[in-house]
Formats: sequence, C-alpha cells, structure tokens
Amino acid sequence: MKRLIRLRVNGEPVETAVPANRTLLELLRDDLGLTGAKEGCGEGDCGACTVLLDGLPVSSCLVLALQAEGREVLTVEGLAQDGQLDLLQQAFVEEGGVQCGFCTPGMLLAAKSLLDAKPNPSEAEIRAAISGNLCRCTGYQKIVESVRRAADLRRAARRGP
Amino acid sequence: MRLPMFEYAEAKSAAEACGMLADAGPDAALIAGGTDLLVRMKRGLERPARVVSIRRLRGGLPAVARDGARLALHPLATMAELAADPLLEHACGNVAAGARAVGSPLVRNLATLGGNLASARPCADTAPPLLSWDARVRLQSASGEHSVPLDDFFTGPGASALRRDELLTAVEIELPAGSSGSAFLKLGQRAALEIAIASAAVRLTLDRPGGTILAARVALGSVAPVPLRARAAEDLLLGRVPNEDLIREAGEAAAREARPIDDLRASAAYRREMVAVLVRRALTAALERAGGGR
Amino acid sequence: MKRDFQVLGGRAPRVDAGDKVTGQALYAADLKRPGMLFGALAHSPVAHARIVGVNADRARSLPGVKAVLLGADVPQVRFGVSPARYDETVLALDRVRYAGDEVAAVAAVDPDTALAAAGLVEVEYEELPAVLDASAALLPGAPQIHDMYPGNICAEVHQEFGDVAQARAQAEVVRRDVFTSKMQSGAFLEPQCALAEFDHAGRLTLWSATQTPHYVQRTLAMVLGLPEHRVRVVMPRVGGGFGPKASASSMEIATCLLARATGKPVKTLFSREQVFLHGRGRHQFRHEMETGIRRDGTLVFLEHRAILDGGAFASFGIATVYYAGSLLAGPYRLPNMKYDGWRVVTNKPACGAQRGHGAVHARALFEQQLDLLAEEIGMDPFELRLKNVMQAGDVTCNELNMSSLGMRECLEAVRSDCGWDEKRRQGRRPGRGIGMACGFFVSGAGYPIYRSRTPHCTVRVRLDENGGGVQVLSGAAEIGQGSDTMLATITAEALGIPLDHVTVRSGDTDLALDLGAYSSRTTLMTGSAAKEAAESVLRQIQEALARATGEPAGDFSFVRGLLHLRGLPHCVEAIRAEFQKERRGYSGLPAEGPLTFREASRFAFLERGLITGAGQYRPPPLGGGFKGAAVGTSPAYGCSAQVAEVEVDLETGQVKVLRITGAHDCGQAVNRTQVEGQMHGSMSMGLGEALTEQVLFDARGRILNPNFSDYKIPTALDAPELRALIVDSHEPNGPFGAKEVGEGGIMPTIPAVLNAIRDATGAVIDELPATPERVLAAIRKLGRHGPAR
Repeated sequence: MKRLIRLRVNGEPVETAVPANRTLLELLRDDLGLTGAKEGCGEGDCGACTVLLDGLPVSSCLVLALQAEGREVLTVEGLAQDGQLDLLQQAFVEEGGVQCGFCTPGMLLAAKSLLDAKPNPSEAEIRAAISGNLCRCTGYQKIVESVRRAADLRRAARRGP
Repeated sequence: MRLPMFEYAEAKSAAEACGMLADAGPDAALIAGGTDLLVRMKRGLERPARVVSIRRLRGGLPAVARDGARLALHPLATMAELAADPLLEHACGNVAAGARAVGSPLVRNLATLGGNLASARPCADTAPPLLSWDARVRLQSASGEHSVPLDDFFTGPGASALRRDELLTAVEIELPAGSSGSAFLKLGQRAALEIAIASAAVRLTLDRPGGTILAARVALGSVAPVPLRARAAEDLLLGRVPNEDLIREAGEAAAREARPIDDLRASAAYRREMVAVLVRRALTAALERAGGGR
Repeated sequence: MKRDFQVLGGRAPRVDAGDKVTGQALYAADLKRPGMLFGALAHSPVAHARIVGVNADRARSLPGVKAVLLGADVPQVRFGVSPARYDETVLALDRVRYAGDEVAAVAAVDPDTALAAAGLVEVEYEELPAVLDASAALLPGAPQIHDMYPGNICAEVHQEFGDVAQARAQAEVVRRDVFTSKMQSGAFLEPQCALAEFDHAGRLTLWSATQTPHYVQRTLAMVLGLPEHRVRVVMPRVGGGFGPKASASSMEIATCLLARATGKPVKTLFSREQVFLHGRGRHQFRHEMETGIRRDGTLVFLEHRAILDGGAFASFGIATVYYAGSLLAGPYRLPNMKYDGWRVVTNKPACGAQRGHGAVHARALFEQQLDLLAEEIGMDPFELRLKNVMQAGDVTCNELNMSSLGMRECLEAVRSDCGWDEKRRQGRRPGRGIGMACGFFVSGAGYPIYRSRTPHCTVRVRLDENGGGVQVLSGAAEIGQGSDTMLATITAEALGIPLDHVTVRSGDTDLALDLGAYSSRTTLMTGSAAKEAAESVLRQIQEALARATGEPAGDFSFVRGLLHLRGLPHCVEAIRAEFQKERRGYSGLPAEGPLTFREASRFAFLERGLITGAGQYRPPPLGGGFKGAAVGTSPAYGCSAQVAEVEVDLETGQVKVLRITGAHDCGQAVNRTQVEGQMHGSMSMGLGEALTEQVLFDARGRILNPNFSDYKIPTALDAPELRALIVDSHEPNGPFGAKEVGEGGIMPTIPAVLNAIRDATGAVIDELPATPERVLAAIRKLGRHGPAR
C-alpha cells in the first residue's frame, strides 16, 4: 500500500506515492531518478548516500521516505546553479578531491552543511564534519584541502571583487 | 539493502502513539530517528508488522530545558542537538560528550536520545553519562505514566523496563547541590563510527572545591549485559577527599565489577583492564572540573 | 632529467571530475534499461557441505519471479583467473565450499521480489567438516576441498637464488621472525553491480563494475559458449576496485545467464555483505623470515617461508604466492634469497589480488627486520637502506631489471622533509615514535594471466573529421585511479595540444583491447600505446602539411594547439581561407596568428581522408628461465620510501598516526595532483591494514563483520596528515618516462607504522592489524621479557 507524500527536493516541490518500506535514498534514486546519492553500505556506515535534510547531512538509507514528508531535501544534483558549479564542487575539481567519485556527492553535502554553519572551519572541524563519509581513494588529504579551498573561495566571493 | 514491508502510522500526540502501540500488539515498533530500527530491519533481526512514527511529538520543545535544579532532556532530541547544547554542556558535560561520541555526524543528525536509551544496548553512549547523573526516565502507556530510575531501566542486552505499549516521554536529571564535575571516555579503534570497546562516565560532586566527595557515580558501557553502575567504586570514593591513589583504587574496583565478554571487538580481559584505565582517567578529569585540586 | 612539457607533469583537473561532482557520472547501479529485471543470488549459509537436494518451487511460484537458476541449470564450465587453476562454477552443483558460495540465481520484476525469491530457494545441505585455517588445511587427513588440490595446496613455490646456506655462514648478524596477518577487504565504496542485456541478434552486453573488462569478456565467452565478438563488456564509472574487482565473478555470469533465460535485461547489485562474501581481497599470510647482514650493514641473505590462506578458490592466488616472494629481491641488493611459499585453500571466501598484490605483508615483515638489524649493529635505519639500495641498471638476484630506480632519491626526500635526523637526535620519548620503510613494485605485469603473445593493450587515436577534436579509444579500466586523465594528457602532450581538445572513451571491449587495471600497468602500457597512436596521428598531419607546402614534415609541430614552424608558411593563408569558407555563419574562428590545430587537422583530413593512429603495447621478453620467473617481471619498477610518526597510548595500546611522509618514484609524473592522490590513497589503505582492518570469522566460517561498522577503514579523523613527495627518475620504458604509482605506495606504509610503534614502545608487533589490544599485549610482553630491541 502506498501513501502520498509531499516534500521539496532541490528546491522543487515533489508529490509522489511511496510504500512504507521505501527509504529516502530509494525514493531519490529509483522514483525521482536522482542517482547522485549512492548506496555503499545501506546501514548508515559509509555516508555515500548523504543528502541534506532540512539543511543537515543525514544517511538517506536510514530515513524512511515517509519521514521526509514536508521536509526539504538537497542532493548533489541541486548544488550547481544554472549550469554553474558551486564553489565546493569547483574546489573538489581543482584540488583533486575526487578520485573514483563514489563518495563525492555525499562528501560535498557534508562539507556544504559545515561551511554553511562555519564559514572558516579549522582542519579538525573539517575532518570531524566528514567523519561519517568514508573515502577509500584519497586518504582524505585532498578532500580536506578541497573543503578548505572552498571556504576561501566562498569568503572571497562574499567580499566581492 | 532493502527493508521488508510494514504498515506505517504517524502519531500526533503521545497519547495517540500509546493507543497505536496498544492496538498493534506485540508486532509494533516505534521509530524516531530510525538509525537503530532500520538497520535491524534490513538485517532481518527485527520484522515489525507496524511501525509507529513519533517524529511529530517533539512539537516546538527544546532539546534541553532547565527548571531550577531540574534538567529535562527531550527524548526526541537528536544526538547532534545534545552534543551542541550549551545548557547541557554546562550542567552535565559528560552527557553532551556521550552524544558527541555516537557514530558519525550523519547518524547524530538522526539518532535520538530516546532511541539510544530504548534500544538498550550495553554500548549506548548516552547511557553511562545519564546514569552518572541519576537520571530518571518517564514511561507512558495508554494506562498511565510512571517514572523509573535509569539505573532500573536496563534489564539486559536490548531489553529494558519499557513495555511494548509504552513510550519514553522524558529524561530527567535532578542536579545535585555542591560542586560537580563529570567526564565520559570511550575506547574504540577509530575516532568516529565506533561502537565502544569500553566506555566510562563518571560524576563527582564535592561539598566544596577541593573538598570531600558528597556523591560519586561511576558508570560503564560495553562491559556488561547492561550499562552498568560500578557501585563498589562509588562507595570507595564517597566521603573521601580524592587523591591519586584513591582514584586509581576506584578504577581498579570498577574493573572488578565489570562483567565483560569476548566478542569481535575485544576480549573480556582487555575490556576489564581498560575499565580501570578509563575510570581513573575520567575521575581525574571530573575531579578537575569539580574544582578538586590536589 | 628535466624535460619541458606542455601539459604533462601539471595539475590539470581530472577529465571526469566535473561529472563526478554533479552526480552526472553514472555507475552500474545507476543504469536502467527498458523492461529491466532484477537479479539476486542465494548463498550457502554453511562453510562446507554436500548439496543433497534443492527445491525452487516456492521461489518460482512467487509472483513476479521470472527465472530461477540452480546449479544444474547453468553451463558446467569451470572458470577462474589462471587457466591452470580454473576451479569455480557459476553456481554450486553438488558441493558448497564456503559460507557465501552461490547456490541459485533469481530474476524478478523488482529487487524486493528477487531477494525474497532467493530466500525461498530451499537447499538441503549435508555438512562436511570445514577447514578454516591454512595450518589445519595442511595437516595430514584434513578434509579435502578440491580434488584438483591434493593436500589443499593450490600452488607452491620453491626458489633459490644465489646460495643461502653459504651466505648464512658469512652473515654476522641474523634475525628470524614470524609475522601473521588477517584476511582484508578492498573496501571500495561501490559494491559490485552488473547489468546484462542481449540484443535481438543475440549479442550480449554486460555493464559491470569491473576493473578488467577484457578478462570478463573472455570468461563470459568461455562459459556462455559465445565467440568473444558476441560479448561486449562495458565499464560505467567504477567506484574503486583495488584488485578485488579484477576478475569475472559468478554474479556477473549469472546475471548474463538470467538475461538469456528471460530475454530481458537483468541487473544484479551486491549488498555490502555480499561484497565481503565474494571477497577476493588480501590473503591471510604467515611469513617466516631469516635475514642476515654483515656488521657494516651489507645485506647478505634472506630465507623466507610463506603460507597463504587463500579461501575456497584459486582466484589470483598463484600470482599472489609468487609475488609474495619475488618482490623482496629489490629495492636492495640481495645476492642470496631462498623462498618457499604455499598457497592453501580453506572453506572461506576466496582471496585474490589487492593493492600491492602479494607483496605487502612480506614487505611489512622484511622492513621491520631491517630496522631491528640496523638497531643491532647501531646503524640508523636510513643508513642501512642507503647502504644497500639498488640503482638504475641493477638486476636483482631473480633477474628483475631496474631500468630506472629513484630509491636513493626517495629516501633522501623523505628523510629531509620529515626532519628525521633531528627527530631521532632528540631521542626517544615514551609513547612517541617515528619509523620508516621502503617499498618496490611492478609497473605492469610482464605477462597476461592467460598464455598468449597478445599485445597487452591497443589504443586508437582518432582525429575528428571536422578538425580540432581528438578522440582516444581505449579499453583501459578507469576505476578512479585516473587512467582517462592519464590517456588524455599523454595524447595531448604527444600532439602538442591543450587537454580540452582530447576526449577519452575507455573501458569498453568494443573500443580496444586492454588487460585492465591491475599490476599498476595502465600508465606504462596503455600510456605507451596512446603515445604511439598519437604520434602516428601527428605524423599524418605533418605529412599533409609537408605535401601542401613542400617543407620537411619534421618542421611542423604544435605547441599548445598552435602550429609551430620555422619561417612563415605561405600555405597558412590558403588553409585558413578554406577553413573559414567551410564555416560561413560561425563565430569565433581563428583569424590571425599561427595556424591552429583545428585548422591544420581539418586540412589534413581534407587532404588524406580519415586520420587515425594505432598504438599497442607488448612488453619485451622479460625474466629468467626458472619456474615462475614470469611473476614479478615488469618493464619497469616503481619504488617508495615513507616515514610514519605515531603516538601510542601506553595504557590502552591505541595508536594514533600523526603524519606520514612519503616519496615515490613514478618515473615522470603525468599529473602531479593525481600522483599525490594515488600516494595518499595507498598510505591511507596501508594505515587501515596496519591498525584496524581484518575480516573476522566465527567458528563455523561465517564472517562476523561483513559491514563498514566493524570492518574498520580509516575515517577522516583517523587519517593523519599525508605528505606526498614526487621523485621523477625518468623510466626509459615508459611513455615520456612515466611508470607506476597506483600500488607501490602502499608497500612502506605498514612497516613504517609498525617501526614507529616499536620506536614509541619498544614492542615488536608480529600480527596485523595492530589493534589496541594487540599493541598493549606486545607492550606487556616487553615488560616481562625486556625490550626486543
């Protein structure tokens, strides 16, 4: 039996019918075709499925779609605006924060939530903020550098030219 | 990983949730953050026919409220909220530390205090700190409400005083008079995403800074079938002016009280030994915070 | 050797980074085909059993189920990695050999139904005694797991180079140590996934998260009875591999068989638990080494015995057991080496190749021994190594040829960068330690896994007929390591054009032949082929220009996409005019200055027709004539040195790694950012293997921790500051002097960490991983018996 839910995904209203056992991750990937969020473990241990739920990073594999009703979801597909990469995305591209790319969408969203709350985080704060997002390729070094660079880019952009 | 099918209902009030639980019978489960239940369901360890969501019961209530000496922690407060709550940090710092030690930021944004307690795992990171403050939990069912000391709440691994038709509606702490300090230490292999090998939460209340111990609490995680109070260690400390030797002895006493098992994360012997280390270190930190100088 | 490059050696972003940060990059699990069904596998819950009966009636009658395949329904063709050890079947027919062995495959209309049906397949097992560790497997009378492996020995190696018995008499200081480890997982973030579809002509396409499309194609052709050209294997984006994705799996084959049975596309996705059940990660090793030196630090001999617990199937195991021995012959001059290795089968998931294939744990013990020996003779660990390092032109005792080797430079680079001498001078502080180690690895296996004189790869570089664009068509396997970016860079460099002129298509058996992403082969081998192909394209353009102008072809070259030549060519005007005439209404056309690559390449097409360049790579004959000489041979060898700094909690045994400084000789960095990234990844994986990673089993052979909660790879809070220093030695056999960086970087990490722990505590860690409990036990042992040093 399905139920109708309404939520906002990447700023757009979504209305869809889901069965009770549908996770938010499945809703995004299978029903809405937003395959940016990945399933690496299905048990909340890897962070590949991270999305922002009302601005906070969560493992979408551990959220029922029904529990996302009425809430705001941001996925990696919602980061770039008008074909322009978000500064975080740009920093990951330039600093080598991406290798296989499987952790990248989740990593970006965890980092975004950090920078939205703390525009000038320390390295320890960056590491803590992404400590639920596993990466096997980079050893996190260039991811941390990417986030730091994004913070710099953001502050520069805010100050204006 | 897929979830099995179930019926879902969302309660709008505690009373409604209790009613739903009563109606659903033994096959019902409550869901708040979902980080425990959904993993267990995906692994096939639990298969409730009906899942009752209580996410809307928070209303606009704060995570932590203080009324005089009484501190009320909302069971639907997330670990992230508790970890960052200034009131909690100030009054019962080790509870905030316990919340910070849970899983990862992604889990802490979902997992709730009520869930951490109700799942009744010996490794629940908020349980030992709350035990150290003599916290009580309020349990509500269709037939009424009662309050239980957290110390009596846990009955075994995954088992508690919470009946299938009950809801955990409040976590309450009566802050003691005097000068208190607390600490929580967790031993794991990684700095995040860890289930504790062993953990220790302590609270010391002195009659005055540098004075005698009015109350001592030593609570342990992951070293017994339940989050455990180390009473012999507490008794040893009570009424004494703390010093290094006393603190070491208390750690050793706590180690003797632990009832650990061998599992994939560590051996029982190692766990027991670590209790002594963790308790000693936690007591040292708590003493300093309580204003107990040497 | 310093060279001037245009794009090579820079820090350009990866060519796939944009797609990966936007979510546009599609991985196997993201793919959908019309009418697609979902596959699922049923696994044996027991480690060793005879299958007495199978009943799939309940599974078949579940609504939505389209096919159920049992052992008897699939081709009885054995497959595996090494043809001499084909020991796997798609589904178990009458016997299961580990808890996880596949017994049935199901296709259904949705994943839930498929999984439910797999759970409804009833198998009656008659349990057999299981063998769960290698030493038990070797005992006389142990249960036999495969008829083809008497005594449960899947492969054994017995080699001696030089004369160890005589050398032992000359050695002045000798140590004998034993070191053991646990099975480890590649723990790539993307679980395996495969999507199979037959077209109406009966041609099969498999999209799969593999790192060896060519080997998968061959296995599918063999098992399904199809000629290779009727089988196409395509890699979507792949979320890491590290070795365990380097062979065809039962899941991939079963998915194809389900597609054939149903006439529909079928997609099967592993859960994380299934990733662990399928395994193919690092073997469990037991190494015993006796190493002798002279008092002046000269290395004299190594006698080495290794037992590898390989799990239920051979997989890459023959190569693993050879690598475990042969790769200790460098990077130090070691005149006498004896090696006896046994690769044993047990009732556990099969082990295979994982980053640093076979050589990592052997290296971990050997480098610890070198430190202990250095201490015994009062020599600094760096000095001992520097005393023995090989250099370019040296040949190891087992005939591995060091065509380039910046080992000394790596040692010097890390030594000064981390402030080693100063930190050692400060003396020991309890709980704080610093340790170092070196490593050495192949830059591409000298031979394919099947016997053949085939080239290891082919590449075509195709000039866009419209001019300007260059397409690289390759079969190389981009699994995140950056091979697409490497191919684009090498092609751009060879042609003298900017990176954005080049697009790379890869990982598709329809495009080209490539043995895949393993043995750190892609940069040297596929890079060489790409360079050859690009140079052919350049020659054809040069010839067209030469013919039109009468100037010598060699005078034409491109620099950053602009034609560079001596004297002003009178033809530029005409070529430009024609180009513009063809493009009436276009804007932004080149108007003045040198001729662009776009104009010149269009002109070349108009003159000569289709321009493509072909390249291929086949290693020269390598290695000695002794048995097993092929394994360990490579056209080149990469090497590295690392220093780890640690803090050890002496009361809990917890180790915190504060910093790892590594230097790696990659010949010539194709892309410095990517080289550093590979080094960082190696260090981080080594760190996990050193401290926290182990696959654990219960007494019945079932995995206790098939998840990321208890299989502990480092988090961002566990990984320390990682410093990567690049050493360019220039490899004569590599494209533009380049060689490997993908795997060699993991070699020194584990021993550097363990040596640092010993520096901090005095304790020798003789078992991996160095969990707090093990470290504490080692410290305690010290208290009882005095320091080991």
